[in-house]
Order: sequence, then C-alpha cells, then structure tokens
Amino acid sequence: MTATTDTHAAAPHLGTGARARNTWATRTWTRYVVRRLGVFALSLWMLVTFAFAMIHLIPGDPVRAALGVNASPELVAARRAELHLDEPLLSQYVRYLGGLVSGDWGVSLQSRLPVTQVIAERLPNTLLLAGLTFVVTLLIALPIGTGMAVLTQHGRHRLLELGYTGIAMVVSAVPEFLMGVVLVYVFAVRMEVLPIAGNAGPGSVILPVAALSLGSALALSRIVRVELLSVLGRDFVRTARAKRLRPRRVYLRHALPNALTATITLGGLLLSGLIASTVIVESIFAWPGLGPTMVSSIITKDYPLMQAIVLIYGAMVLSINLVVDMVLSVLDPRSTIREA
Amino acid sequence: MTAALDFRDVTVTYGTGAQAVRAVDGVSLQVPAGSVVGLVGESGSGKSTLARAAIGMAPLTGGSITASGRPLPRRGRRPVQMVFQDPVAALDPRMSVRASLTEALGVAGAVPRREREAEVMRLLELVHLDPGLAGRMPAALSGGQRQRVSVARAIAARPEVIIADEITSALDVSVQGAMLNLIRDLRAEMDLSMLFISHNLAVVCYVCDVVAVMYLGKIVEVGPTAQLVADPQHPYTRLLLSTAPRVGASLADSSLPPQVQDTEPADPHAPPTGCRFHPRCPQGPAVVAGREICAQQDPAPGARDRPHQAACWFPGGPVDLPSPRPRDPQPAEAT
Amino acid sequence: MPGSGGAGRRVSDTLRNPLAVAALLAGTLVLGTALLGPVIWGEAAETNDFTSLDQPASAAHPFGTDKLGRDILARVLVAARLSIGLAVAATAIGMVLGVLVGAVASMSGRRLRRFLAMMIGIAVAFPGLLLALFFAVIFGVGPRGAVLALGFAMAPGFARLTQTLAASVTSQDYVSAARALGVSRVRILVRHVLPNLAEPLIVNGTVAAGSALLAFAGLSYLGLGVQPPAYDWGRMLSEGLNSIYTNPSAALGPALAIVVSGLAFNFAGEFAAQTVGGRARVHRKVPAHVPADAGPRLSTSSDDAPGTVLSVRDLTVRIPTADGLIRPVRGVDLDLAPGEAVGVLGESGSGKSLTALAISRLTHDPVRVDAQRLTFDGMDLRGRLGATERTRLGTSLSMVFQDPMSSLNPTMRAGDQLAEVATEHQGSSWRDARARAVERLRAVRMSAAERRSRQLPHELSGGMRQRVMIAMGLMGDPRLIIADEPTTALDVTVQQQVLEVIQSTRERTGAALLLISHDISVVSSICDRVLVMYAGRVVEDLPVADLERARHPYTRALVEAVPTMQTPRDERLSSIPGRPPDPAALPTGCPFAPRCPRADTTCTIEPPLVRYAAGSGAVACHHPVEETS
Repeated sequence: MTATTDTHAAAPHLGTGARARNTWATRTWTRYVVRRLGVFALSLWMLVTFAFAMIHLIPGDPVRAALGVNASPELVAARRAELHLDEPLLSQYVRYLGGLVSGDWGVSLQSRLPVTQVIAERLPNTLLLAGLTFVVTLLIALPIGTGMAVLTQHGRHRLLELGYTGIAMVVSAVPEFLMGVVLVYVFAVRMEVLPIAGNAGPGSVILPVAALSLGSALALSRIVRVELLSVLGRDFVRTARAKRLRPRRVYLRHALPNALTATITLGGLLLSGLIASTVIVESIFAWPGLGPTMVSSIITKDYPLMQAIVLIYGAMVLSINLVVDMVLSVLDPRSTIREA
Repeated sequence: MTAALDFRDVTVTYGTGAQAVRAVDGVSLQVPAGSVVGLVGESGSGKSTLARAAIGMAPLTGGSITASGRPLPRRGRRPVQMVFQDPVAALDPRMSVRASLTEALGVAGAVPRREREAEVMRLLELVHLDPGLAGRMPAALSGGQRQRVSVARAIAARPEVIIADEITSALDVSVQGAMLNLIRDLRAEMDLSMLFISHNLAVVCYVCDVVAVMYLGKIVEVGPTAQLVADPQHPYTRLLLSTAPRVGASLADSSLPPQVQDTEPADPHAPPTGCRFHPRCPQGPAVVAGREICAQQDPAPGARDRPHQAACWFPGGPVDLPSPRPRDPQPAEAT
Repeated sequence: MPGSGGAGRRVSDTLRNPLAVAALLAGTLVLGTALLGPVIWGEAAETNDFTSLDQPASAAHPFGTDKLGRDILARVLVAARLSIGLAVAATAIGMVLGVLVGAVASMSGRRLRRFLAMMIGIAVAFPGLLLALFFAVIFGVGPRGAVLALGFAMAPGFARLTQTLAASVTSQDYVSAARALGVSRVRILVRHVLPNLAEPLIVNGTVAAGSALLAFAGLSYLGLGVQPPAYDWGRMLSEGLNSIYTNPSAALGPALAIVVSGLAFNFAGEFAAQTVGGRARVHRKVPAHVPADAGPRLSTSSDDAPGTVLSVRDLTVRIPTADGLIRPVRGVDLDLAPGEAVGVLGESGSGKSLTALAISRLTHDPVRVDAQRLTFDGMDLRGRLGATERTRLGTSLSMVFQDPMSSLNPTMRAGDQLAEVATEHQGSSWRDARARAVERLRAVRMSAAERRSRQLPHELSGGMRQRVMIAMGLMGDPRLIIADEPTTALDVTVQQQVLEVIQSTRERTGAALLLISHDISVVSSICDRVLVMYAGRVVEDLPVADLERARHPYTRALVEAVPTMQTPRDERLSSIPGRPPDPAALPTGCPFAPRCPRADTTCTIEPPLVRYAAGSGAVACHHPVEETS
C-alpha cells in the first residue's frame, strides 16, 4: 500500500472540510468589510450631526456672543435669520443636511465669502503638508527602526540602544509646534537659509514638514523597532534560523512583513494625529492651510466656517482610519477574524 | 434518586447565522450524588462549554440543567462550583489565599464570621496544604499549590457538585499524581459529587466511576469505567483507548486502516452529516462497504437503547479484526 | 517571588536604570517648581523694569525680559503651577469620565456593552487635539473651557483603555470562579476588577498628563487657552515667538520648560510601567571566560565515540539573569548512533529544551553554550559556523518544534516555507523548489498537498501544520531530526498521526531522532533509549523497555506519578514532594536529594557520578533502586 492511494482515499472528506473553512474565511472577510463600511457611514453621520449640534450646544445666544454686546438688535436678528436659528430644530437639521449635499455650506460671518470657496482655497495646502509629512515620516522611520532592531536584538550594543532610545524619546516628546519654534529659530532666524513663514516657493514647505515629521518619525521608528524585536523573538523566526537561512532573508522576508501589521495600525493613528498637529504648525508658519482658518473661526465665532472645517477634518480622519483598516484586512486576513 | 447534576438535552450555540457553531448539541448527562463522572474528548468537542453552561457562563439555547432536582439559581449561592485548568488565572493575583477562601465562605453564608478563620485552616488541611500558607499571595505559590487552593475555594462554597476542568493539564508531571490522589481522597472523605473533564482518557479512567465520551458537541458513549474500557461500543471510544497513554506500547499497536489513518478532526462550523465521526471512523463508510447510513442519518436518537448509550449504528466490537468473542448483534446491557 | 522583597528589589533594580534616575530627577524638579514657584519668584515675575524692555538674555535676566520689562525666567518658573495644574486637572477630568464610561460599558448587558464599545471606538478614532478644538467651540475660549475641552477629549481614550483592561480581567478564571460562587456584580467590580486595573491606569494617566501639558500649551499658544493677564507656558511661547528676531530667548525659555516637564511626565510613566511590570531588570554581561564548573563531571565516558551522528560532551548552557548567572544545562553527555531514536524526558525547567536548542546552535545572546565536544555528522559545531556548515546543517539537521502554529511564518504560504530551503541551500529555482515542496508534503501524507502548499498556516489544522514542519526537514537529506515536544499542542488522535509520520520518515531516511518530551508514553512509543533530565543534568540513561524498572528514584517516581491505562484504579499514584530546585540556588549535592525518599547525608554533600550498569544504561545516584524491589 503506497502513501499516494492513502491520500486519495481520504481526500474527499478532507476536501469538503477545508473548502468549508475557506469559504467561511471569505465570508468572514466580506462581513468584516460590510460592517466596517457601516461603521464608517455611521461615524460620518454622527460627525455631521455633531457639527450641526455644535452651534446649539453653546450656552446662551450664539449670535449675540459672536457679534458682541454692542451689536444692534437688528443685526443680531438678521444673522439669526441668516443662520435659520429661529426655525424648529428638525427643519434646521433637514436644511443643514440638504445644504451639505447640494454644496451650499453657508457663508462665513466674518469674510462674507461662501464657506466652500474658503475651503477650496485652503484645503489643498493642508493636504500637501500632511501628505509630504507622512511620506517623509515613513522614509525616516522604517530604515532606522529596522536597523536599530537588528543591531540591538538580544541585548547587543547596549550603549547604542540607550543613546537611540534616549534621543528618540526626547525628540518625540517635543510637540510639533515647539519643534517648529526651534526650527524657525535655527534655520530662519540664525542661519537665514529658509523662509520663516508663508508659502513662497518650494523652500517654505521644508520647515513645516520637518517640524511635523521629526518627532513622529522617531516615535514610529521606536514602534517599528519594538515590533520587529518582538517578531524576532517569535517561534517562526527560530524556525527560519533552524533552516539556516541567511540573516538578511530572516530579517527581510520573515520578520519585517510580520511587523508591518502593527506598524500600519500605529502609522494610521500617527497620520490622523498629524492632521490635528497641522492646525498648530500651520499657525506657526502662517501656512495658508485650514489650520489658521479654523483657529480664527473659533476665536471670532464664525459658526458656518467652523462647522465646515470640523466636518472636513473629521472626514479626513475617518477616511484615514477606513483606509488603514481595509489595507490591514487584505494584508492580514486573520485580523478580520479576530474582529468578528 | 435525583442526580447531583443533571444535563437534559442541553444545547449551546455560539455566534449567529452562517457563523453559528453548536458547541454542545443535545447533550444529556447525569452526575449521580457521591460519584465522579468523567467527560473525555478532544479540543473543540464542547466539553468545556458544557462545564461553563453549568456555572452559568454559557447561555443555553436549549434543554435544562438541574442540580439535585432544582434549576440553577440566577443569584446568590450557586450549587455548582468549578476548578479551572490554568493555575495562574484561577486566583486573583491581588487577593491572599485567606481572602479568596473567605470570600467563598462569605457567599456560602453557612459559616458565621468569627468561625471563618478556623474554617479556612480546616479547608487548607483538607486539600493537604500547610495552613501557614493562608497569608500568601498567589504569586508566592507553586502551580500545584494554587490548584489546591482552587479546589478548597470550590469546596468552601458547599456545592452540590464540583466541576474539574482539565485541572492537571497545566501542572508538571511530578505534581499531577498528587493532584489526582487529592481528588480521590476528597471523594472518600466527603462523599464528593464531581464532573471530571479531561482530554486524557487514562487520567479520567483512573479517577472516575463513570466515563462519558464526547465528540463534536455530542456524547457518543457513556458507561461505567471498567465496562467502557473492557468493552467499548463506539469506534471513537476505541480510537481514544488505543491512543491513550500506555507505557511500553509501540505505535504499531494502534495503527488504523489506511483510509482513515490521516483524517483530520472535522470543522465544527460545518459538521459532517449523519454520524459526525463517520469520515474518520475505522468501521465507517470510508472503510467498510455498505455503511452509507452512517453518512446519512444521525445515530443519536436511538442511543438510549444501545449498550453504553452508544451513538453508533454499528456498536460493539470492530469488524474485520480478530475479536476476542463472536460479534453479538444485540449485546445485553452491561455484561 | 515574595511580595515585598520582590517589589523592593524591583525598585532597586530600576534605580540602576538611567531612564529611571532621569525620571525621578526631572519629576522632582518639575513638581517642586510647580509647588514652590509662585511663592519664591512670584514677586520677581510681576516686577516691571521699564529701563530694560524686551531685552535679550543677560546675566541679570538669563532669558531676557518681556515687553513690560519683566524677568522671563521668573515668569517661566511661576507659570509652572498654572501650566501643570491645568494639565493635571484636564487629565483628572478625562480619567474620571473615561473610567466611569468604560466601567459601565464593561459591566452592562450585551447590547448596551456593544453599543458603548462602538461609540467609544468612533470617538477614539479622532485625535485628541481635534476633539479638544471641537469642545473648545462649545465651552468657549479661556482656561475653564480649555480644561473641560481637553478633559472631554481625553475621556474616550481612557474609556477604551478601561474597557479593554476590564474585559481582559473579567475573562480571567478567577472572575468566572467568583461569579460561580455567586459574588454580586458590584462586588466583583470592586474586589476583583478595579484593583487589577489600578496600575495600568495610573501608568497611562501619567503619560496622558504629559501629553495634556503639551496640548494645553498648544491651545494657549493658539489663543484658545489661558487669557491675559494670566499666563502659562503656551501663552508665553506665543508672545515670545512674536519677538523671535529681537529676543529669541523669550520663546526658548517657555519652550524648554514645556519640553522638560513633558519629558518628566513621560519618564515617570515609563518608570512606573517598568517598576510595575518588573521590566527594569538589567542584564549583566556574561564574563567571557567563566571558571570551569566547580562540581565534578558527571560522566566518566569521555572516550571518543566513532560512528555517531551526534556526539556531545559536557554541554553547558549559561544565562545571565537578575538573580545572577544560572546554568540550566550542566554537563550533558550524549551520543546518537545513526538511525537511533533517543528520548529526552524531563519536567519543565529540567533543561531539556535548552539542550536541544544548544545542540542545534539555535540559542542566542545572552545565552552562552560551551562543550568539550559538539560534533554532528563529523562536523564540529562549536565556534563560528561558515557557509559550508550552514548549508550542511540546513539540509541534514531537521527541527520540529512544539507549537506548529507559532513555528510557521503566518504571512508566508506553507509551500514557500518549504521551498526556500531548496533555493537557499541547493541552488534550486523557485519553480523546482515548489514542486519538490509539494512532493515532500505528499511524503508526510498531507492530503491535497498541491492545494495545501498554496495556503497560509492559519488555514491549516494543527496536525497539518506539524506535517509541514516535518516535511520542511525532508527538503534536504536529514541525518538527525530534533523534535521538541512535537505533539504536546495536539489532540491525542492527531498526536498519534504525527508520531506515525515521524516514525515513517525515520524509516525512509534512516535519520536519527532526538525527541524531547515530558510525556513518558510519547517517548516510549517511538524511542529506543531515554535520557532522563533533572535540574540541568542527565540523571539516568536507560532503554525504553526498562522504564518501569528504572533505578533512579526520580525516574521511578516520574513513571508512577502519571496514570496510564495499565495503572490499577485502587493504587495511589506516587507523588514527589516539593518542587524542582531554583536554578539560581542549586543544592551542592544531588539536585534531587531534597525531594528524594532515599537521600542521606552523602547525597546532600556530594553530587553523584554516572554509573554504568552491567547491562545497558547509566544512572547518577548514590542509592539507586535495586531490581529486587
């Protein structure tokens, strides 16, 4: 009796079991995607509702607060009418939703410009800054994190490890806006090699991007290192070493791909954190993005503009999270099973 | 006589829709007062789910569980106590041995506050632990000692029945024997009723009066230990017996027909039709011609009338193999 | 580890860690300034010196003066109280809110729990600063609004943390046990859940306070936080930045203060986490030349063993730990004839797995392996392995590990994990290597080998995964299979299958087998000979058939401690009192003496030598059990 006939005899039963397992996995993935999209839609709806509710949650009369005590009652009444604040809440909500869909996002109380126009002018600059920062962060973090993990595994090169973690901890503890101040001082005030503020040519993007990416890049590199170190301690790396593969193959083919899941998860969190940090960094560098607009709209109580910017930022963050989760579910199908 | 613990047609389902898994599927099992019943099965057979159902940790989707004839209460003192597999997770790392036992005594309510300290000492001695350990935190105890504290905690609640779920699996070999001795001592001393769950048939047979065998959510055979070992009715029981720990037995003693030699345990999400064991059965349709019924009809409904309540269309000795006695088409109950 | 002593040592260990010292220093400095700053420098900070407005740094004013001529250093020191106080207040609000919501979520029924979990999940997705800006709109501009905004923004994070931690605590058996006892929900929360949450919550709270400080500085900088004439570091920073050309130190002073206090909080959090988790242990370096083992060699058989596939003499493994240098393997001798199957039997901590790893050169720093001889297939494995040795090992030494799930790369197809052996060592193309992998999977009787080879490990069952591991060793021409608990993670019926596959593999290839196991029945079903290990030493070497007539009291007890199908039901199992010795504090004599019923004073003083019996086998015991018993 040969082994081959054995297998054939047993195959039909096994085949059905395994196929069942596979279709079950596919179904789990589809369920996961559908559920994830559902959560996205729900979050978006909640975001819109919160943006709408914001103005109603402010204690007292929001319009009076915005225009000051000296504004004439007529002006206040006119603005209230403009914002439809005198209508029943439900019809205001319906009107708000309708406006969002049809592109009528209201008019800024301060500049009297349509909100959509302000956003169209400002948003591309913010996206440019965030995108560049993300790319630079990854380009710095991945090689440093991988290199440091390989050099310092099993407690080797303890001095290097200490120096690296020390520097990385200090630099990533410096908030982005302070990093901005330091960079402005060194490169714009002392060395005068780069423009201090505004958006005048390609040189002016360097300092804001550096301010945003330095800290997060080092923080991410620490995460990459820790993840890689923990992967290097796992059993399958021992198996790879038992196969006597070259170290390069053990690190790059076996360890690194398995460290990516956590890196992407945390990288996504970092990216949405970056979105928030751009607000302050843009203010420091007078970068013509959405950030300074948001701050001034809060201070001047420019409600329509404020609502729109909150929506935009929120939608950006939600989309980043959605993309990260989708990428993860493709790269690591087990994560969807764990979730479900 | 009412059983200390009585499972009737118990069904536990996890998940919903396409993902639903019937972890326990129509199980009936009695633990008579004063006896130790063993439940043996592989991982995924549903034995631990059944135990969790008895302490209210897994909601029933069908059937009922009673302790000494009464349904399980939803609050207050519970008649079923459990000892868990993992000695590390079984005790709160922030509570001393004394605190853990006192908590159990407090809930039991039968011991007045000022007698509790004496009762803690008595319990520790009962499980062969030095009463001086009462002040220790779990981290300062060995695995065997922690398991003993867990047993003492279960006894402190004065249950009708104790469920022991793989209590020796996580212990070192040299400590396992002592743990099993303890269970036997307790049984002799205090007329303990116990459901003893393990994947190790040898351990179960050593401790228990009655053994139940579980496969993929169903009980396939129940019988008094000696009878079950001497005259197993279900082919799965025979498979377990042939693979059970045995010193000096070589692999060749237990080889199976090649058709089922390398079969895998079935996927609980898609259990096989008919008898769930049929794809792996050495006496099933994969090996013996003309046994299509195994793949088509569930043998469970008529199990009560077969010896050892075997859920098998062809119970009794194996076919085509030298048998110690001629095959009896209808063997008498409990030979 | 006894409670107080352990904690005490953890603290002292932590103090040897430079990070921890930095944390303590920075923390004391920052807290001290916050408490005493306004008392000491309050007056100086308000004194206007109209003769020196907006001056750069000087000896009198180390950070210069502001536009009203006030000393910036003094103002930075005074602002510490407000800056840190507001951050701590916001953190407190966030923590209280978050823990409340998280606790309610974890204690409530299924539906409410899932709903709250989803809400928390959505809220957590938004970065804190963005949430804070959102809440700043509602609560208005100013310190009170900013504190509330930040606190609300931090709450979802704490709620998520509480919920996750509580879920992991409530899934513990001790909570199930408490429920089974009938302990009420509230009591479970108070007695079991919350005490086990306190430590991680405090650690996270410290770190969160640090980021709150930074966020608050950010809000004040934007003009949304502290309003004039009050001042905190953020506002001073924004004022300083306006005059950065004339007086850069006006911005650098508050900037420095923010960084230092942010770091202090981070360090303190890290310090707390390490002390709590006991991770602060320092590794001590192993001295390159350790003096030779003080005890006498156990074995007398140092003769050369020709015709062996594996020959090991005096194998010793040393590991530096916080308790000092331990030696989990102490002078193991071992010879394997070609095709021989030898089992290594021992409990956890006996050193059996480390012996296997040390033989196969798979240990790594800081573990040190020494041996008088370590020869595999005529190759000296001591010292550095060159490319030739690597290839020979890769093709002729096959390893099978305990947990087949974790031992396979989860992101690589099963077939590729086999094929890479051939591409790496035999120069095959991927195409050929893959075909060979499928063929090897068939050899271990894997059904549907072609399709299985394209699947990821998690799509295979436990038994199939272990077959993949065995097939991996078959890619070359194995001379020796080292299997470390290959069936422990498997069900009994599957265990049988895997043992059969190992057996038939041996028969086909003529490879020798070194099987590491704690399970006597597994060892005895497949091996010819057994080595019994205890506390890092081989205490007995005997043929499998003689296991029940073992002469070492430990082997005896081990065989009798576990019931088998042959064990009479009315017989008590033997039990071994006590537990294996702590590797950091080994007894001088026989390591088993404290637990041995046959031990006398000789045993506690003198380590026993291995004695070879008349027939076969050897035992290291002063008073071996004689056959008469």
